[in-house]
Order: sequence, then structure tokens, then C-alpha cells
Amino acid sequence: MPEPLLVVENLQTHFRTPDGVNRAVDGISFHVDAGETIAVVGESGCGKSVTAMSMLRLIPEPPGKIAGSIRFQGRDLLTMTDREMRAIRGNDISMIFQEPMTSLNPVLNVGRQIGETLRLHQGLSARDAEAKAVEMLTLVGIPAPGRRVREYPHQLSGGMRQRVMIAIALACNPKLLIADEPTTALDVTIQAQILDLMRDLKHRVGAAIVLITHDLGVVAEVAERVIVMYAGKKVEEAPVGQLFRNPRHPYTQGLLGSVPKLGSSLTGTETRLAEIPGLVPSLKSKIPGCVFASRCTYATDLCRKVAPALEEKAPHHVAACHYAIREAVAA
Amino acid sequence: MFAYTVRRVLATIPVMAIVALFVFSLLYLAPGDPAAVIAGDQATPQDVERIRASLGLDRPYLVRFGEWAFRIIQGDLGVSIFTNLPVTTMIAQRIEPTLSLMVITLCLAVCIAIPMGVIAAWKQGTIIDRAVMGFAVLGFSVPVFVVGYVLAYVFALELDWLPVQGYTPFARGFWPWLENLILPAIALGGVYIALIARITRATMLEVLQQDYIRTARAKGVGQKGVLFLHALKNAAVPIVTVIGIGIALLIGGAVVTESVFAIPGLGRLTVDAILRRDYPVIQGVVLLFSFVYVLVNLVIDLAYTLFDPRIRY
Repeated sequence: MPEPLLVVENLQTHFRTPDGVNRAVDGISFHVDAGETIAVVGESGCGKSVTAMSMLRLIPEPPGKIAGSIRFQGRDLLTMTDREMRAIRGNDISMIFQEPMTSLNPVLNVGRQIGETLRLHQGLSARDAEAKAVEMLTLVGIPAPGRRVREYPHQLSGGMRQRVMIAIALACNPKLLIADEPTTALDVTIQAQILDLMRDLKHRVGAAIVLITHDLGVVAEVAERVIVMYAGKKVEEAPVGQLFRNPRHPYTQGLLGSVPKLGSSLTGTETRLAEIPGLVPSLKSKIPGCVFASRCTYATDLCRKVAPALEEKAPHHVAACHYAIREAVAA
Repeated sequence: MFAYTVRRVLATIPVMAIVALFVFSLLYLAPGDPAAVIAGDQATPQDVERIRASLGLDRPYLVRFGEWAFRIIQGDLGVSIFTNLPVTTMIAQRIEPTLSLMVITLCLAVCIAIPMGVIAAWKQGTIIDRAVMGFAVLGFSVPVFVVGYVLAYVFALELDWLPVQGYTPFARGFWPWLENLILPAIALGGVYIALIARITRATMLEVLQQDYIRTARAKGVGQKGVLFLHALKNAAVPIVTVIGIGIALLIGGAVVTESVFAIPGLGRLTVDAILRRDYPVIQGVVLLFSFVYVLVNLVIDLAYTLFDPRIRY
């Protein structure tokens, strides 16, 4: 069996701060197969964005420190030189960010920003790069690309800017696209358009996608496999259908329970939204037991003392909970 | 854009008019009577009165300002009381050294200060950053004449690399011209470099925090491309503004620098004119300096659009 496209093993991204070490990502392992779409979900502050940034080594070091290994096509990104890493960024692995309003350079025109990756990685001339940029704008569905290519970000709407970001990310036909909350800052209608676009282009370009999001609707829509993160750790991983039908970890159950159901007040099934009590614990102190114990309604002394290991609870379905199987059976 | 340019150019007219009024008034507020100076120690009150009338100093203030302003618009800055030469001629003779000094200082300062500020911002908090900022504080705090004499002593007298003082006209060749200007430009540029380096560092620090810088890195852009294209172009507007405002420092400093390095420029002309109470010359030179300052800042205002496409007038 060939090695997957990307293998992340025991990734730890820690930040040194004046009042202790912040373990933003604390020992995460996962893999991504070629052409696959996986989603990483979790609350704000669970380390999902830091995981994404670590994969391209975009964490400023110091104060950050990335440990573990990230093997991409068999080569460890963490031991590469800066030059080797730059050749990968935007070329083999590219990234889309959450904020289309601020992620584009306001003083360079759109064509230049798309063309830049092509010039860097494929050695295109300025003229060829602009021609390819027009092509990319057409691909991401921007009308009048010949005119838009000379425009600046402030002349475009949020949705258009995110399309431009996607054009930049896909210009060099990357093998892996990391999308960090690509639709969070957009209107709902635009969100759907951007998701459709990503799905469509994924089939055309054949890139694998790591989608970072807190929006479970988006996950259900596009992902094939889901990783649930909590406090810098992976707490559950399963194929998407299985996760939604049969979540094993109490945290995942809580996350799914806190999604409002459209129309529930009309059908008479309206109930108070389940919420997960409390806040994500501080990542600065080592937690002896299960990271979720302080907020878990099922927590026992065992949970507070011994950290549960990730166990396969069903085929391809792992969760880090001492009681997950029992919970599932009871349900 | 065109309408804006026209508006900005027109807006400089009232500014220059107010400057002119100040320049004209300043001399009447300053102590000392030019008529008495010209008449000398032996003159009788009648003599002084006659000279005053011949200079037109006995007529009402606003009338004299009107006449003076009208002549200036026609390019006539009057005649020097001391040399009897037209002020325009005297300025024309002295303008090349000063202009050369200011242009060289400007180029030198921009070429040194901007990379310094960029590197300090990139290496924020390191020894390099502290060294650059320490140098900037030094540039602020040591006066031009001290730097000037130290430079002249070390590089001209001890090392004998460059001439001690004087000026060679550009017409006699580029290198002789430049050679004489290097030390004065460094002495004059100290404060200016410090100012530009500091604003560059501060603006760059802010820009480097922006999301689009992260995007640039994620695209595989190298350190140089990130700093000098993606970041510096965004930091350009405040930096260019300070470069424009700082021209005032160069004008003030040029007067002292020219004295230290014995450069026969407008600065020396100004000092000499003030010492002799040669009012038409003082007025002419101050007006010229103000005009240059207003002009440079006008050009800079118009240049903003080159750096930031969001600025549209």
C-alpha cells in the first residue's frame, strides 16, 4: 500500500509566552490520501488553524516551536531548508485563508497576485503569468476576467476576493489545498457558491483538501472524513456519515447537539439548543486526565486522572474516550 | 485625478501668499532699522530719514506689501542693499551647491534609511534592531556641526579619503562634484536618516502583521519579496510623507552644513544676509525655501496614488 499524500505524526506546536508554554497543538496525528477531502472541526481556540499553519510552517519561530513530523510525498517538511519549503508553498501545497477582505495585498493588482505564484514556481514571464491569471479568473467564475485582472482587491466584493484567493491557491495545480475557514467570513449564499466552486475545482484539479472549519454544515457538505479537535488534541476521527450518525466522543455529540435545526419551531420539535457548558481549558497547563473531562457530563474519576488513548471504536472510527463504546451501546 | 491635481496646485497659492506675508512682516518685527544700518554710525537723523524714504520704508505697511508682492510675482526679488546686485542673480549664483547638497542628502538618506528600517522591523527585538534604533537616536541627538567636524577630521584630515571642505561645480565633472558632497551629505543626513528609518520600522512592523503578508509567505514568496515588495509598498505612504516633511530639516541643516564645510551655497548667503541685515536677500531666500518645501510636498501628495491604488481623488 503506497504511503498517503500527507502523513502528520505527533505534531506539536507550542508557543512560548511570558506566562508559560501554550500547547496550541499537542500531539496530533492524521493522514490525507491523494484527492481526498478531510475536515478538521472544533471550537475556536482548539488549535485547528495552528495545525493548518504548521503544515506550511507559517508559524513564526520563535515564539512558536513545531515538533513531530509532517511527511508530504515521503519527505518531512519539518526538516526541510527554508528554500525547499518555499518551493513547496503555493506550488505543491497551497492555502486559502479565512479573511478574504484582508488576505489579499491591497496595493498589488489581482493579476499580479495570481501571477506571482506562477512566476515563482513555474518561471513564467510577466506576460504569460498575466494570461494564465486571466485563465484562472475565468476558472473560478469571475465575470469579465480580462478587466478584473488589472483591478485591485478593494474593487472586488468579499466573495470575489475569496474566488481570487482560490485562483491563487490553484494556479500551480497543487496536490494539497489547505482551506482555513474559507467560507466563515462570507454571506450564506456566497458560502454555498464558494463551496460548490471548491468541490468543482477539486474534481478538475484533483487536489486533496484539508478543510478547517467550525461549521458542521460545511463538513457534511464537502468532507469525506472528519477529524474532531479539542484543546490541541484529536478526540475523534471517522468517515463523515458515520460521525454524524453515530458520534462516539461526548464532545462531538455536544458539537452536533448545538447546531440549530431549521424549522424546528414550526414542526413542534423545538427544544432548547444543547450547549457544551464551560470553556476550552487553558492550554498552558498540562491536563492530567481527559482534556474534555472538565466539561463532560459523563466524566468520572478515571477521566480526570487518566488520559484516554485514541481507540478504534468501529472500523475507521477512532475516539479518545474511556466510555465511548458504552455510550454508543446505551444510545 | 486631473481635477485633483489642478485643485492641489491652486491650493498652494494661498499657502504661498501667507508665507509671503510672514516673510515680509518678519523683518519689520525683528529688531534693528535697516535705514540706520545703511546710513552708518556717523549719520544724522535727517540722513536716516532720507534713506528710509528712498527705500520706501516710510509708506504704509500694506501698500509696501502689495508692491513687494507684485514685483515678486514678476520674478523680481529686489536688489541687495549690500552688494547692489539683483537678489535673483545672487540666488542663481548660489543655488547649485545647495541644490546639489540637498539632492545628494535626500538620495543618500533614502537609500540608507529605508533598508535600515526594513531590516530593523524584520529583525525586531534582536541586536540588529537595537543597533539600528540606537544609531537612529544618535542621529537625532548629535547636532550637524559636531558630526560635520568629526567626519571632516576622520575622513578628510586623518584618512585623507575625501576633501575637507569646499565645492566643485557639477560642470567640472561628476566625481569631483560628488567627492566634495559626500561628507556634508552624511553630516546633514543624520537626523533625516534617523527620522525615515524610525518611521519605516514602525510602519513595517504594522504591515508585517497583516494577513496579506501571511498570504505572500503561503505562496512561497521569499523573505526579500515579502519585505521589499509586499510589505514596503504598503508602508510607502507614511514613509513618503515623512520624507516630504523632513525636507524642512534639510533646509535648516543646509545653512549650518554649508558653514562647516565652506560650501558657497544659499545657506551661507542667508547667514551673511542676516548678519548684514540685507533684507531683500533674506526675503528672497526664505521665499525660495518655502516655495521648494511647498512644491516637494505637493509632488508627494500627488505621488500617493502611485503607491496605493485605494487613494483616488
